[in-house]
Amino acid sequence: MSVKRPQKSGRAARQKRGSKTPWFRQNWLDVLVLGAWSMTLFRYWITGKLFLLLHPDYMWLANSAAVILLGMAIFKLVKGRRRIQAPPSHTTLLPPQLSSLILLGVAVLGFIFTPQAFAREKAIQRGISDSLTLTRSQPQRFVRQASSEERTIIDWIRTLNVYPEPDAYADQAVNVSGFVIHPEEWPEEYLMLSRFVLTCCAADAYPVGLPVQLAVSRQAYAPDSWLQIEGKMLTSTINGQRQLTIEPTKIETIPEPRNPYEY
Amino acid sequence: MEQLSNGLTLFFSLLVEAIPFLLIGVAFSSLLLFFVDERTLIKFLPKTPLMGAIAGSLMGVFFPVCECGNVPVARRLIVQGAPSSVAVGFLLAAPTINPVVFWATWVAFRDQPEIVFLRVIFTLVIAVTIAWVFSRQPDMRPILHPAVARQMPQIRKSEPINPLLRSGTFLLLTDGSTLQLDDPAAILTKTPAQPFAVKIQLVIDNMVQELKELGAVLILGSAIAAFVQVAVPRDWILTLGQNFITSILAMMLLAAVVSICSTVDSFFALSFASTFTTGAQLAFLVFGPMIDLKNIGLLMTLFKPRAIIYIFILAAQMCFILTLFMNLYVS
Repeated sequence: MSVKRPQKSGRAARQKRGSKTPWFRQNWLDVLVLGAWSMTLFRYWITGKLFLLLHPDYMWLANSAAVILLGMAIFKLVKGRRRIQAPPSHTTLLPPQLSSLILLGVAVLGFIFTPQAFAREKAIQRGISDSLTLTRSQPQRFVRQASSEERTIIDWIRTLNVYPEPDAYADQAVNVSGFVIHPEEWPEEYLMLSRFVLTCCAADAYPVGLPVQLAVSRQAYAPDSWLQIEGKMLTSTINGQRQLTIEPTKIETIPEPRNPYEY
Repeated sequence: MEQLSNGLTLFFSLLVEAIPFLLIGVAFSSLLLFFVDERTLIKFLPKTPLMGAIAGSLMGVFFPVCECGNVPVARRLIVQGAPSSVAVGFLLAAPTINPVVFWATWVAFRDQPEIVFLRVIFTLVIAVTIAWVFSRQPDMRPILHPAVARQMPQIRKSEPINPLLRSGTFLLLTDGSTLQLDDPAAILTKTPAQPFAVKIQLVIDNMVQELKELGAVLILGSAIAAFVQVAVPRDWILTLGQNFITSILAMMLLAAVVSICSTVDSFFALSFASTFTTGAQLAFLVFGPMIDLKNIGLLMTLFKPRAIIYIFILAAQMCFILTLFMNLYVS
């Protein structure tokens, strides 16, 4: 891969030159820090794991940063031998060597660590709801879709937010996918089909979900497993609350999607 | 185990989102250092206190630097004779009122545009007011750090004194003037013309240096944000974060301690978006860039402690009052 080449040749060049003078070591560390961060960002880009971290609208920013950091690393490698006194600009909070080591360590950790899509535990910790009123996102537009099967879970929640009466949606066809949560306070034959919604990055991911009324115990569907559910809508009373609920006609186990979030 | 994995995912998502903006920020601040001459700018600034305060507060639009880059710029402005209202306004507002920070805040809070705009408005109100207060002190030397005060223009005005009679190390320039070598600000303002290639290298070297310093602080900040999200029980955060007053105080304290760069602090605040009141998030975004631990270290090189305490008290009070008003009457 063309991406990896500069770092490899860089390492060879560094070994050849050795590190006798102290300033050269600093430069060597700079190249390593910049290169490591570039590689980490390239890795998330190429493996598609960036989907687990960012909203797709902002991925180009991270991807450009990967390219620019690589360019800076190469520049430092080629031009770094000439030493030019930079003007004094900052007094720093951390000693420069420590900063470099923190940056390098985290870049390496990022290169090894594979981000995981948030799942049930995170959803419960964040406080799941079937309404967006508790969350930050206010619907900015309301798009009427031709058919109700095309709505995703977040589309359903947004629609409910605008018109909350569950009976209004009775018998509408539904076809959604999401991961399984077993809310403790719900009866055995109900599970929650849930999705995380992202506005900017994983830091603001919040869960939304719809109840599913099963004919059997929910133990048949393990928490965190992914399901594609077809069926129709009905109103059921769960824990004394009237809620829009899916009555499934077909439940299919699916693998976790490459992009598990909705927007 | 799952909590650790969630925490790390959160941590890296903050970093991956913030690093591009950090890169843009350090690129601008480095370019400005070598390609913009503040003296030309000062000539165009209004001289009346209020207008000076407003102009200084808005100057960040042309100087997209975060709170670490603005202290050196403010210092150069003061040394070159900018009025106190301009310098203080710039110092407080520039880290927030600049295009890069506005864009980053927009990316983070696009669903709550009121946060993006109120951040700018509140910062302007606070910065202009404090700058106006400081303009009552036309001669800034009594409140400046002695090293900065010595470089003030009054000394230059009396420059008919033969430079030979002044102490220090001087370089005789080709036009017969002198350049004081042991005065960093003078070197910055009177950098001899350098070839473009050297300037570019200086810019990149400076970018790398700033990237390392600010990147490390960003990492610490992101680690704190991720830790709070996964490890602190949600009940505690909600109790603290949903109260009108404690939420603001908590976020202001957090802003002062975390010292995260203003270019990327909106992503930090975003991770508290669902648990803290809107006013509290605004308090973080407005107060953090003005005063934080890292910044106080920088300010100590510019002001005497007395002036820093004034700025701190005024900024904290106004920020608290404005965001409390926001919590009580707007959101």
